[in-house]
Amino acid sequence: MSAVSAPGGRGWAGKTLLLARKDLVIEVRGRDTLPPMLVFSLAVTLLLAFTLPDTSRPSTRIVLPAGTASVADVLAGFIWVTVLFAGLVGFARSFEVERHEGAIDALLLVPLDRSGLYLAKAMTNLAFIVAVELFLFPVFAVLFPIGLGAGVVAIVLLVDVGFVAIGTLFAALAAQTRSRELMLPVLAFPVLVPVFISAVELTSDLFLGRPTRAVVSAGWFGILLAFDLIYVVVGALTFEFVIE
Amino acid sequence: MIALEGVRVTYRRTVALHGIDLLLLPGVTGLFGPNGSGKSTLLRVLAGLLRPGGGTVTWDGVPLNISDEAFRSRVGYAGHGSGLYDRLSVRENLRLFGALHGVGDARVEEMLELVGLQDRGGWPAGELSAGLRRRAAVARALLHEPQLLLLDEPYANLDDDGAGKVSDAIKAWRTPDRTGLVATHGAKRVKGYADAAIILQHGRIVSYRVRTPAEAPT
Repeated sequence: MSAVSAPGGRGWAGKTLLLARKDLVIEVRGRDTLPPMLVFSLAVTLLLAFTLPDTSRPSTRIVLPAGTASVADVLAGFIWVTVLFAGLVGFARSFEVERHEGAIDALLLVPLDRSGLYLAKAMTNLAFIVAVELFLFPVFAVLFPIGLGAGVVAIVLLVDVGFVAIGTLFAALAAQTRSRELMLPVLAFPVLVPVFISAVELTSDLFLGRPTRAVVSAGWFGILLAFDLIYVVVGALTFEFVIE
Repeated sequence: MIALEGVRVTYRRTVALHGIDLLLLPGVTGLFGPNGSGKSTLLRVLAGLLRPGGGTVTWDGVPLNISDEAFRSRVGYAGHGSGLYDRLSVRENLRLFGALHGVGDARVEEMLELVGLQDRGGWPAGELSAGLRRRAAVARALLHEPQLLLLDEPYANLDDDGAGKVSDAIKAWRTPDRTGLVATHGAKRVKGYADAAIILQHGRIVSYRVRTPAEAPT
């Protein structure tokens, strides 16, 4: 049986899964996207390992030009900046496979709602970013004294949803420009600010050992959920106009 | 029947199509013209992949709209690129697009045989020669037996045997109610089966000739 035509359903969901699977098969065979993301993440993490003070606890306060901050805040900032840039490296490449040989034209002419094309690409990007995080967070936990509980995992997944939703949409937009690698960060950064500020605030609290229940009841969690919802809905609804 | 009225396309300062008026009848029409005459642009407009800056395109009286899934399922298009994924085999590519169009694997095998690629079905599309890739692209466009077939240079890089296979595939697809437009520099290739011929020059139709019943292709 073909590697890309296995799912039995041929409705919207079946076709969407088929396209996501196609992207993953292509990545497994080509390894064009994930290795650069992982190498970037490792390079940044190692650099940070030499930047931060040795054996510092998350609650330790360090002096910064603008005042003081806990190591937890700095670590949370670093980890999300790494995820952000690694993600954009991958997202920028996600439509390359469609541009090459004009596959996008053939894809635009299949009888599948555009939301299916969007979701398939978003699922692939989500798989890539989760793979990066599965590598990045344990490395951070080894190098720095942070705990990775269920709360962190839940927050990370929620951040990923918003990040991938808007990253995929803007990657499709940037793919139609000549300077796409440059355009994607320019377009996506301002829109992603609320998601990543929430991510930093929530994870730094968790790194400090605050109970998950208390962190979730904080305002940042609501903001994250709200932006996730908005970005997914906006992404699915506007993708048609972007891709056409 | 597909009708174009005053279709105009511009790329920045370059006018690619100057208010094209055309009634495209069922049957296969050869589209000829020198490089830059607007052939590819016209095909992309008809496929819905390019919105004209002016004018209207209708199919059986309904404005052409790529957002309409029913329209998309009735169009087969092969542009300059093959529209195939390099890392997937030819068979996987066709099965993918077949599944997306609701076509089974048996039809995929039929198409591979028709264009003479049954022995190369397991090859990654990226490792095919340019000619074989053209044949695979034509197979992909014909896979779901579209009502409207749009082929841009299907004979590019093909030897006589390959060109014959592509012609056979187009002839096998042709029925009285289907419409095809084949853009090519090789008039000889389509002469054997085309029902009409259009010549484009500088974005304008300079000749549109429909074969008389006496001249009809066999």
